[in-house]
Amino acid sequence: MAGPGKQYVIIGASAAGMAAAQAIAEKDPLGRIRIFSEEPDPPYFRPLIPFLISGRKSAAEMELKGSGPFQAAGLDLHLNSRVEHIEVNEQKMTVSGGETFAYDKLLIATGSRPHIPTDIEGVDQEGVYALRTLKDARSMAKRSEQAKQAVLLGGGLLNLKAAFALLERGLKVTLVVQSPEVLSRLMEPEDSRLIREALIRAGLNIKTGVRAVRIIGNGQGVRAVLLNDGRELASEMVCIGKGVSPNVDFIDAEQIHLEEGVLVDRFTCCNAPNVYAAGDAAVTFNPVTGEKVMTALWTNAVEMGRCAGMNMAGYPTGYSGTFGILNATQVADQPFVSMGIVHTKGSDYETHLSASSRAFRKVVFSADGERLVGVLLIGDINRAGLYRYVIRERMPVRAFKSHLINQTLHYGHLLKAKVLLP
Amino acid sequence: MSQSQPKEIFVRLDRCLSCHSCEWACAVEHSQSKSLHQAVSETPQPKRRVYVESIDPNQSLPVLCRHCEEAPCLHACIAGAISRVKDVVITNPGKCIGCWTCVMVCPYGVIGRHLEEHKAYRCDRCPDRAVPACVTACPTKALVYRSADEYSKGIRQTAASEMAAGKRS
Repeated sequence: MAGPGKQYVIIGASAAGMAAAQAIAEKDPLGRIRIFSEEPDPPYFRPLIPFLISGRKSAAEMELKGSGPFQAAGLDLHLNSRVEHIEVNEQKMTVSGGETFAYDKLLIATGSRPHIPTDIEGVDQEGVYALRTLKDARSMAKRSEQAKQAVLLGGGLLNLKAAFALLERGLKVTLVVQSPEVLSRLMEPEDSRLIREALIRAGLNIKTGVRAVRIIGNGQGVRAVLLNDGRELASEMVCIGKGVSPNVDFIDAEQIHLEEGVLVDRFTCCNAPNVYAAGDAAVTFNPVTGEKVMTALWTNAVEMGRCAGMNMAGYPTGYSGTFGILNATQVADQPFVSMGIVHTKGSDYETHLSASSRAFRKVVFSADGERLVGVLLIGDINRAGLYRYVIRERMPVRAFKSHLINQTLHYGHLLKAKVLLP
Repeated sequence: MSQSQPKEIFVRLDRCLSCHSCEWACAVEHSQSKSLHQAVSETPQPKRRVYVESIDPNQSLPVLCRHCEEAPCLHACIAGAISRVKDVVITNPGKCIGCWTCVMVCPYGVIGRHLEEHKAYRCDRCPDRAVPACVTACPTKALVYRSADEYSKGIRQTAASEMAAGKRS
């Protein structure tokens, strides 16, 4: 066959692809690992790109190689290389330009791209961005040198991070949110008061319940944004943060099952032999509900990519799935963690709320009260990982339920429950 | 292969008297002055990385970073700030951006948030010491610093001698 070692091909050189490469390098040192990336930059920590706009970090400081778990050397990295086609029967794939590579094991880790709504006019103008790549961040940083005002469309986490980066640059920033409140995917409007207050304290203008209908430009690009209520917001730059779609357009759905993203089994394997998928491009499952989920989260992508890498290298490893929501961050001066099921309005989940002027906590149990299914912590997020563990392992909570509700749970409680349970 | 197995901090659950000596020693070791008298008045306040937790009135245990083999925090970090150096999982404060993803994924709940510096912190196994400060400070030897082999050998020997004693009587 072809050479002494296994031929691995990985499409996509971000979280999932590079985590897989690292796992393969650890498990199969004789394997040849080729990684293809459309981007011109060597792999980097994508979540850090807002810091390029704020000026807090340089691109070099965001490089993946040699940082955290990404220690593998000797990877054959092909940058500026777009994969055009996978021929699953012949186990080979073709890149733009026509070059063909055979594989023994292939990973689809192409990630996702920003979703650009079709109902906004004028998104093609200069000064309109969707922050996804280092290249996007560079363009935004450059434009922000001249700009005084920015309008950000969408109230998700990515846009909030972009908003803070621009605030740091001294711009006047307005967030236009179609939902009744910011971060609506991660918390219900009535639960996000502390976040909203923190954002306003930090100097962000927030307009909720409205949407952009047109981006108005002149010879120098964006000049203003027209909202559906007729108001016009002056602005020299616009950033669209309206979610992402998986990069699976190049895949022949006749050969590889797609369900929006690439459908995989619990061992991250597609229907086609020796083809795996991980990260934003893959459809995985929620261990609590069993539902299929797609996420666009670095942390999930690394975990799933590592798992795929193990499987590809011949070490069968089940992926434990992920919650649809699994986010931690700090917005302005407020840390928060949101995980599992936190949208409870109109449901029969058993929900416990605790609210003060400095912290908010929502602990969500199954309707019978026996299992923890979600938690939202704002202000005090200490030991949040224990909640994740209890949700993920589907532990019976009776022995320590009050500690979950009051956020006094510690590892000793779990140890006791695990040792004493049958 | 028996090439010097790394040492770890083991917790003997039956020995902790909840005296909190380990917490004090840890905070002092991670202070600027490394002396108890000065450490108490330092700003920011020195942070302990071991937590004595009470399970019930009669039982406590010190909880600290296990430096997991497949460390969830290391893989989850979105900034590449966590890596394994000589069997110790360490957070590089220069790279940490204070996003608290590590706090969200740690199943032991032992990653702290340094609010003044906006950085995550945890047990670093006292790089400047031969034996971690908490282990040295523990008056009942509830904390021991040994390799897994040494530790399990000790348990086997104790069990064997107890069984032997039981047989004799």
